[in-house]
Amino acid sequence: MRIIIANILAIYRRELQSYFASPLAYIVAGIFWLLAGIFYVALLLGPDGVIQRAALIDAQSQQFGIPAPPVDAPTILLQFFLQALGFVSLFILPVLSMGLYAEERKRGTLELLATSPITNWAVALGKLLAVVTFFLTMVLPLLVYQAIAYSATNPPMSAAVVLLGHLGLILLAASILSLGMFISSLTDSTILAAIFTFALVLLLWMIDSLSRSITGPLGSMLGHLSLLKHYGNLTQGIVDSSSLILFASYIILGLFLTAQSIEAFKFQRS
Amino acid sequence: MKTIKANLKYLKYLFWLGPMLVLAGLTAGVVSASWGIAPLGLIVAGMVLIGLWLLFLSRFEESKTRPGFWRRRSTQAGTNALISTVAVLVLLGLVNFLGTRYVARLDLTENQTFTLASETQQLVRNLKQPVKVWVFDPQQSTQDRELLEGYRRLNQQQFSYEFVNPNAQPAIVQRLEVKKAGDVIVEAPTTERKQFAQSVGNDERLTESKLTNAIAQVTTTQQVSLYFLQGHGERPTEERQGAISEAVKALQDRGYTVKPLNLVESVAFPKDARVIVLAGPQKALLKPEVDALANYANQGGNLMVMVDPNVNPGLDGLLSPWGVTLDPRVVIDTSGRVANLGPLDVTVTQYGDHPITQNFGNALSFYSGARAVDAKETKGVTFTPLLFTSDRVWAESDIKKEPIQFDPATDRQGPLVLGFALSRTLSAPATPAKPSPSPSPAPSPSPSPEAKQKESRMVVIGNSSFVANGYFNQVMNGDVFLNSIRWLSQADQQTFSIRPREAKNRRIVLNSQQANLTAWLSLIILPLIGFGTAATVWWRRR
Repeated sequence: MRIIIANILAIYRRELQSYFASPLAYIVAGIFWLLAGIFYVALLLGPDGVIQRAALIDAQSQQFGIPAPPVDAPTILLQFFLQALGFVSLFILPVLSMGLYAEERKRGTLELLATSPITNWAVALGKLLAVVTFFLTMVLPLLVYQAIAYSATNPPMSAAVVLLGHLGLILLAASILSLGMFISSLTDSTILAAIFTFALVLLLWMIDSLSRSITGPLGSMLGHLSLLKHYGNLTQGIVDSSSLILFASYIILGLFLTAQSIEAFKFQRS
Repeated sequence: MKTIKANLKYLKYLFWLGPMLVLAGLTAGVVSASWGIAPLGLIVAGMVLIGLWLLFLSRFEESKTRPGFWRRRSTQAGTNALISTVAVLVLLGLVNFLGTRYVARLDLTENQTFTLASETQQLVRNLKQPVKVWVFDPQQSTQDRELLEGYRRLNQQQFSYEFVNPNAQPAIVQRLEVKKAGDVIVEAPTTERKQFAQSVGNDERLTESKLTNAIAQVTTTQQVSLYFLQGHGERPTEERQGAISEAVKALQDRGYTVKPLNLVESVAFPKDARVIVLAGPQKALLKPEVDALANYANQGGNLMVMVDPNVNPGLDGLLSPWGVTLDPRVVIDTSGRVANLGPLDVTVTQYGDHPITQNFGNALSFYSGARAVDAKETKGVTFTPLLFTSDRVWAESDIKKEPIQFDPATDRQGPLVLGFALSRTLSAPATPAKPSPSPSPAPSPSPSPEAKQKESRMVVIGNSSFVANGYFNQVMNGDVFLNSIRWLSQADQQTFSIRPREAKNRRIVLNSQQANLTAWLSLIILPLIGFGTAATVWWRRR
């Protein structure tokens, strides 16, 4: 057991080092931060942002003397921003996961990995942990400037919903990265891996609205597969056990399929 | 043989048809939402092709240089992988299935915005019969779906819901009597009862309060009894000339118990009389009868009074304490000439702002031979006019005079009001003292429904033909009657007063420094760190 953990850690460390030494990863992070910043400033300070809209509603209610419907500005900001982040992640995450195995295939180091004494799933888990950690370091700085707004609310806001929403984002990312890792293990072309991952994730993102035209248990089954629906639950502040199970299933499925795919790779030549 | 071999080389690509046929079958089945002969046939054909392919691989692909497909090691590994993949998929599917069956939810929002009220939870958890909510909204709003999903989570056995596109499924629309897109109907299939809950649209979404009350009404076991007064030439409830049996049937379909009431036999009212209906008496009521009705109305009883013109029902003793008078003249409507209607046929397209008529819009209802009704301010009584005629109408005093013309001296110019809804708050909790202590030592402590009611209600309409057979199912006539009965039975009094969970009223108060800092951090500093590091790393690597 200890050896397995040591192996996983070794892979994890190696992968992380390669991320932090690669200019591509920093460019991806920079683009992510820029897009997130544009969305955040537009949502908060822009002409249609929450502060302006709340002010408009207050002014109207004062002018006409009608009590305005309650507006929870920070919650609206949080939900819209997390939605935007989820959407940006759709494009960013396939880029992060595309090189996980495809790069090894291209360089020819996959044979080494496949025939090494480390089990396939330990390699996959180590790689997944590393890429999720990298995504985490991309998300954490966003919390810094969000904290400015959320601490300046009146009445004050609890941090639980904010943290839960971001946890949801990490879970969503882990699911997408896990499936992307599997797709990356199928091909030696990183571009192909990114495109296929993007297509798959887009399908899982939109499947909820597609399933609405189907009635009966099949429709609700397909609807349950939707990433958007479960991510939406978490961003709203609801912890639903079925959502957590679904995310865990995606992560496990990705890990398992990756291990299987490397196993099959071993025997391809024989 | 050689040509066959050569042909086989290309023929084997035909086997790709197998998976494609299966896919086509699945797609056809899903899109048409029916698994008829065509999709199943396609799937079976595809399966057969795939089977042939596997057979082909084992028989013909064998050559001297390579072992057959099935003997290769990679095939064995592949089969193992396939089997374990299927096993894992099934396992994950099962876990997720159980996960949706037994859900634990934690609502971290401060106001518990996404948690249903305890009244709803109790009601839905204890449902004894299946209840289905039909939403006839082609848009399928996510918000409505979330709310319904919350109900379903409480009781997955008994509660179900379905979104229906009203244009696509006319059979269901007709069965549930849907009026327009956006209607929400609650149905209890076992008792065949249905209840309109509300209408949803872009400006109004499904509310917990209305839905829960509709479910409560559809599943209530409490019988609401209606009594139709008899003995003065009222319209008969059984099938006959000028009867109202269609209306009675519609009432029974909605779960009401309809009984006749004859005051000549006994002046006492049955205890369970929730509403008493006077459907067009042709003779005057006797004084004791009118007094009894007045007394009933004073003690929380509800009355529906429909009186035709040219009749003196002698109801002054009942109606004057409520401030209601019946105009003796006959209403003449000239606006219906175009539609081939006689002068006595009054059409109404304008309605008062009242629960009975609130969803009518400008729909038409139709009254053949009507009289105007007046109401004046009376202490303790609130009244709402229900039915307005157009202004091309007058009340004619002498109908025998030819030609019928408006005479300002004796006639009354429209627009007129044909019906009022009135309610009167009971001043004291009217607990009528028992006239004589019952000698039996065990009085049955039946909780009378009147005990809860705080007001009496009355609807007065100057016409009774609109509910008669042949008219009842025309235009909005049935709705005027059924909604009146529903309002009178005080079932609309919200049994559950669930306040909508409102979001907290909260603002973000940023001073200019904080706003600037946010903008700088998010737009410039953070992206710069990313791109800057990328450049440095790239430079160092060179």
